[in-house]
Amino acid sequence: MITEIGNILLSIATSLSLCMFSTVFVRRIINVDKILLFSTVITHVITFLIFISFCLLALAFLSDNFSLKYVANNSNISLDTIYKFSAVWGAHEGSILLWVFILSVWGSSIALFSNNIPKILVVDMLAIMGILLLFFLIFILLSSNPFDRIFPIPLNGRDLNPLLQDPGLIIHPPMLYIGYVGTSVPFVFAIAVLMNRKIELKWLSWLRKWVICSWVFLTMGISLGSWWAYHELGWGGWWFWDPVENASFMPWLSITALMHSLIVSEKRGIFISWSILLAILTFSLSLLGTFLVRSGILVSVHAFANDPERGLYILLFLTLIIGSSLLLYFLRSKYLVFQKEYSISSKEFILLINNLFLTITTFAILLGTLYPLISSSLNMGKISVGAPYFNFIFASLMLPIVLLMSPAIYSSWKKTNYKYLTKKLSIILFYSIIISYVFLNIFYDSDIFIVFIALSLAVFTIFSSTIKIFQNIKNGIHESFLKNIFLLPSRLLSNLLSHIGIGVLIIGITISNYYSIQKEVVMKKNTEILIKNLSIKFVDVKTKTSKNYSSQVGIFDAFSNDKYLLSFFPEKRTYNIQKNIMTEAAIDSNFLRDIYIALGENLSNDSWVVRIYYKPYIQFLWYGAALMILGGIFGIFGRNKLLKNIKNDP
Amino acid sequence: MIKITKKNKSNIIRISVFFFAIASFSALLIYALSKNMVYFYTPTQIIKNEAPIGSFIRVGGMVKKNSVIKSKNNLKVSFKIHDLEQAINVSYEGILPDLFSEGQGVVMTGKLLNVNTFIADEVLAKHDENYMPPEVADMMKEKNKEMYKK
Repeated sequence: MITEIGNILLSIATSLSLCMFSTVFVRRIINVDKILLFSTVITHVITFLIFISFCLLALAFLSDNFSLKYVANNSNISLDTIYKFSAVWGAHEGSILLWVFILSVWGSSIALFSNNIPKILVVDMLAIMGILLLFFLIFILLSSNPFDRIFPIPLNGRDLNPLLQDPGLIIHPPMLYIGYVGTSVPFVFAIAVLMNRKIELKWLSWLRKWVICSWVFLTMGISLGSWWAYHELGWGGWWFWDPVENASFMPWLSITALMHSLIVSEKRGIFISWSILLAILTFSLSLLGTFLVRSGILVSVHAFANDPERGLYILLFLTLIIGSSLLLYFLRSKYLVFQKEYSISSKEFILLINNLFLTITTFAILLGTLYPLISSSLNMGKISVGAPYFNFIFASLMLPIVLLMSPAIYSSWKKTNYKYLTKKLSIILFYSIIISYVFLNIFYDSDIFIVFIALSLAVFTIFSSTIKIFQNIKNGIHESFLKNIFLLPSRLLSNLLSHIGIGVLIIGITISNYYSIQKEVVMKKNTEILIKNLSIKFVDVKTKTSKNYSSQVGIFDAFSNDKYLLSFFPEKRTYNIQKNIMTEAAIDSNFLRDIYIALGENLSNDSWVVRIYYKPYIQFLWYGAALMILGGIFGIFGRNKLLKNIKNDP
Repeated sequence: MIKITKKNKSNIIRISVFFFAIASFSALLIYALSKNMVYFYTPTQIIKNEAPIGSFIRVGGMVKKNSVIKSKNNLKVSFKIHDLEQAINVSYEGILPDLFSEGQGVVMTGKLLNVNTFIADEVLAKHDENYMPPEVADMMKEKNKEMYKK
């Protein structure tokens, strides 16, 4: 029954999205109000239909309906309820359904929140949204239908991939997808603008909020993914330059560039056609990411379902979309020029360089990700591009951007007084360098040049942003310090918080990378090992059984100066159905360090392989990401209402 | 003659900065890429002496049944990998991935000590029992085809 209803709902949604697209042909003939009403209603109906089919699939999982092939392959009676629910997007078919659902929600949101822009533009945006929906719905119906049946109906399912049975994985994919798919909004905006041959600056400030919104979700998705990898993969790493990670990171870089170029476009009326191009490229990178992940041509932990046919379909669509939108861009971008003039001593110029670096970084990562594929398809040999390439490229291109952050914050539009700026910033830079140098020499008695540089730049960014905040509070219109805090313009606050976040993130990355202590040893029971200032005693290993797995739990006690501190319980789980072995590390975190213990294999009766890591400042990664996200949220919502209230009530 | 006006001058600076940037970026990319490309070889290619000895390469194959020897006191492991035709010895020191087992496909990075011994720095075995690393899967497919022909 579920199969029929699901298929019918999806088919109706498919034909409706064709209707949504068809408004393109009548937009000049029929009254625009009527078309807008039509498109809006259809968009909401499609969203509703997809939502219902998504709920049906969730229901099938929760009620252990193994007559659906997808449920049978990815669930199991003994699976925890929460994982039964998250299994809905645990594999290919369901995650594509989630993707389409999110796409339709973005479409509906455009229809709901677009009072500030002309109706014809909204109609066109929805029409483009319609064709995107059409493609993905056809894709679902033809080759990735989660409602397909299985004969004979199995008594029990094959279980969810154990790697995915983790709280982090419940929200990581939806967050990432919301961000990923959110790049469709700037894309449909770009196409609509090109179709109308016209742009106004206030439309850009509308677009900017949407861009920040999907940037926030993308940032959340990526950092949750890293957090998950760190906790779940048992290697203590959080970023592997895995092609699929790159696939999510490229749109992030490119949407970050877009966010910055939009600021310039909106304020100064320049780089508009560049922003439009970036919008198209960002969405293309998102689609490319989907293609890479879903086609199975990649070696990756993320590529569970492999089917070349699916890849071919997405590849065709990708070429069609990118090709036609670039063609449209080159034909029409000449209508988007407002003004060309800008001085090299201005904020715009610094942001231009930021865009240049971000774009090149994106390109470099794209090259490293695709080169192995190109080389093997041209029979030039099977190669892989290792993490050192990405690390080298990334560090050498990102550090200049970080260096430019502070001048960008302090410079002004049109014309900057460079003398004043250099004087002010060189003092801050000087102190940052001294502080980093002293810090490194006190706590870590080695001086690696790159660490010193990165740390100085990070501290520089944090200091200069913080000082800027205080300056604004001090120069605020109110006498009271507290009231001025609330009067800070939310845009400035958003900008500064995100940049401080980047600084904090860099501190976390460099120090945890270069000063971690990693021990991989064979330990016998009742022996001790010293790591940093803690001595870790291996007490015992016990067997524990759970609903769908059995595990061996190690017991480790940590002592500091012979004083008992805490115990660690790392696990090695064997999942009953797929017979997979999973490592669950035990981690003790505090502000300055993590202690990470993972149980390896059992060599003989009482000796085990054990990984013990001491990772300083790794928590700064999550703090940094949180600050960036917070900054983004300020950027979306602003606090204009609050501000007005305070102003009216002096 | 082009007059160098103030506006022209700032344009010249802008364009030259741009070109300089693009040129140095390209140089950087090519340098980094050429330094970090790692080629993949099969055991047969290694036995045929097609792989360079002593440089960083990737090798893939199936772990030969009953070939894994683990030390009891340290993390040293040795085993053989094969591609149905030829087999080579592998030695490794470190923790093997959870999914490493005999008969499974693995991909390793490391260096060749001589024509039939590979020193692995990193061993990868992927997710579930049905999954095979694509390189190994391709390799096995080709080998199977050749065998049918014979």
